[in-house]
Amino acid sequence: MLYLDLTLQGLVQGAIYVLIALGLTLVYGLLRILHIAHAALFTLGGYLGVITFNATGSLLASFAIAMPVVGLAGMGVYELVYKPILSKPPFVALIASIGLFICAEELFRIVFGPYGISYASQPLAGVVPLGNGLTLRTAELAAIAGAVLSIVLLWLLSTRTRLGLAWRATVTDPEMAESFGVSIAQVRHLNFFVGSALAAAGGVMVGLLNNLVEPGMGAVPSYKAMAIIVLGGLGSIPGTLVACFSLGVIESFGSIYLGALLDRDAIAFAFLIVVLMLRPQGLIAVRQ
Amino acid sequence: MRTFVKFIALAAIVLAFPAHAADSVKIGFNVPLTGFAAADGNSARNGVELAIEQANADGGINGKQIELVVYDDQASPKEAVPIATKLVESDGVAIGISGSYSGATRAAAGVFQEAGVPYISAFAVHPEITKAGDFVFRTSFVGEVQGRAGAMLIGKSLGKKKVVVITLKNDFGKSLAAGFKEAASQFGIEIAAEYEYSIKDRQFGPIVSKVKADAPDAIYASGYFFTAGPLVSQLRAAGVDVPIIGQEGYDSQKFIEIAGAASEGVIITTSLDRDSKVSETKDFIAQFEKRAGFKVDMVAASGHTAAWVAITALRKADSTDKAAIRDAVAATKLQAATGLIAFNKLGEVKKDVQVQVVKDGNWHHHSVISDAKLLAPPAE
Repeated sequence: MLYLDLTLQGLVQGAIYVLIALGLTLVYGLLRILHIAHAALFTLGGYLGVITFNATGSLLASFAIAMPVVGLAGMGVYELVYKPILSKPPFVALIASIGLFICAEELFRIVFGPYGISYASQPLAGVVPLGNGLTLRTAELAAIAGAVLSIVLLWLLSTRTRLGLAWRATVTDPEMAESFGVSIAQVRHLNFFVGSALAAAGGVMVGLLNNLVEPGMGAVPSYKAMAIIVLGGLGSIPGTLVACFSLGVIESFGSIYLGALLDRDAIAFAFLIVVLMLRPQGLIAVRQ
Repeated sequence: MRTFVKFIALAAIVLAFPAHAADSVKIGFNVPLTGFAAADGNSARNGVELAIEQANADGGINGKQIELVVYDDQASPKEAVPIATKLVESDGVAIGISGSYSGATRAAAGVFQEAGVPYISAFAVHPEITKAGDFVFRTSFVGEVQGRAGAMLIGKSLGKKKVVVITLKNDFGKSLAAGFKEAASQFGIEIAAEYEYSIKDRQFGPIVSKVKADAPDAIYASGYFFTAGPLVSQLRAAGVDVPIIGQEGYDSQKFIEIAGAASEGVIITTSLDRDSKVSETKDFIAQFEKRAGFKVDMVAASGHTAAWVAITALRKADSTDKAAIRDAVAATKLQAATGLIAFNKLGEVKKDVQVQVVKDGNWHHHSVISDAKLLAPPAE
């Protein structure tokens, strides 16, 4: 019973990781950039979500505003920060990204205040009984539903549309794709837009679950999502999904049974080290 | 080259200026204004600034105006050391106040002690801080004292015996848990289980599931408002309805905002009584909320208290001699926002623990713990 409960909680955590890590893995897959500032876009999504809700009272409006606005912000980050330094070695983009993330965190503190913002009346605050005394908060169920929905939509987009085809072609071989008339710029914009919009959805969900959006809420995702995409096999979407959910469940059990020795992050990174020792290519390797 | 000369000249002018401003008394203040602790830093700063304004309106230090020298230490020990050095050496402050957490305060305390400048910690909990030496004081409780008060509250006042302890894994949470566990048996408390979490955690699903299975009579959980808010709301959502007892880290209106209805009935040990009849406390709360524009919290009251202790000592000593100022701090007997303040020989405060409860969306008086033996701070 307890085990089932812990597994369920692990899946909830995994679903949150999915929303954050999917965008990151998309960016890495396409540009080989470790996009730390993705976590700042996640936080921005959280803020837009709570501010919109407190102004309109509609959670739907929160998503409808946070996702496209943050999507555009993500495209802006690509245009202004990454594009000018694409020809430089990858660590240049990484350092720029870390710098951007730190700036953004302090900017949130200055603009929105250091105390964080809570939902005026918490939406999805109810509890859903799942039988046998198991319960999930409505917001937790919504996080799982959101993750599944994102996975399905992303899959449809990449396999059922021309844009998706161009996208996959660019990931596999950018030069060949370009010679077939694919607009690389368009694909990259789409990539940042979709990835950042997903991060925004993740930010709104986490803001709801914690009932608190704070300037530092991107701190954990900034490195945890890195660990996840490495675990998943850098750039592999199925690998990322497996990594998200397995890490969620392992952290859930670990924080109870190993909690006195290791904290949640330590458990996550110990798992990462063990996996990389056994499978240096990650859980599901990308075919090169 | 010419720009460089200009720069040097400018620097010289800037450096020369403080020497002329001798008709003011400087109080140094390190406080986190950026970084993870910026929220508490902002409250502490508002509390300290209010005290300085009140004192200046009332004649300053025997006619001299007080100048507050503020530096942002980001609650980080490696920032705090150069800041403390700057305060005692180039700013030449008469006394220092820490509005920061234990790590930074502990690091700065050594510098103040070495320089022979009195230093007062407003709300950092680590026992080592005052052990830096006889120039270092603390106007709030060490963690252990508050932990013991928590044990008395649960075991004696509430009569709950089977307790789960949820501990924030830092010096604050650990010292609270140590005090709680030390006194638990004295009040017939059996600790059913203990779980630890990191300050970065906001999702407590696994711990909540386990606590549900443990079925305790009460929960003793340490944390700050930004961890305790989500923790309490998740415990209540999972149907855990036993009393939850927290500490001064919860002590903020933000806690109630985050946890919402789940915060009702949560009881904490702290330094500030919102329903106090004492005029010093009542005036402070009214003035603070008017000035800051947000509801008072423990950190603000503690900052205000520490500043008043410093101001009162400066007035009494009426001297630039740091040893005389130190002696005046040591001899403090002051009714301040957080109660009657007096120090033991280590520089630890001796005062009552205030117990507050959330009722109708606000913190209110629950009870006071004044068992001097139980609350005795470490003396050496």
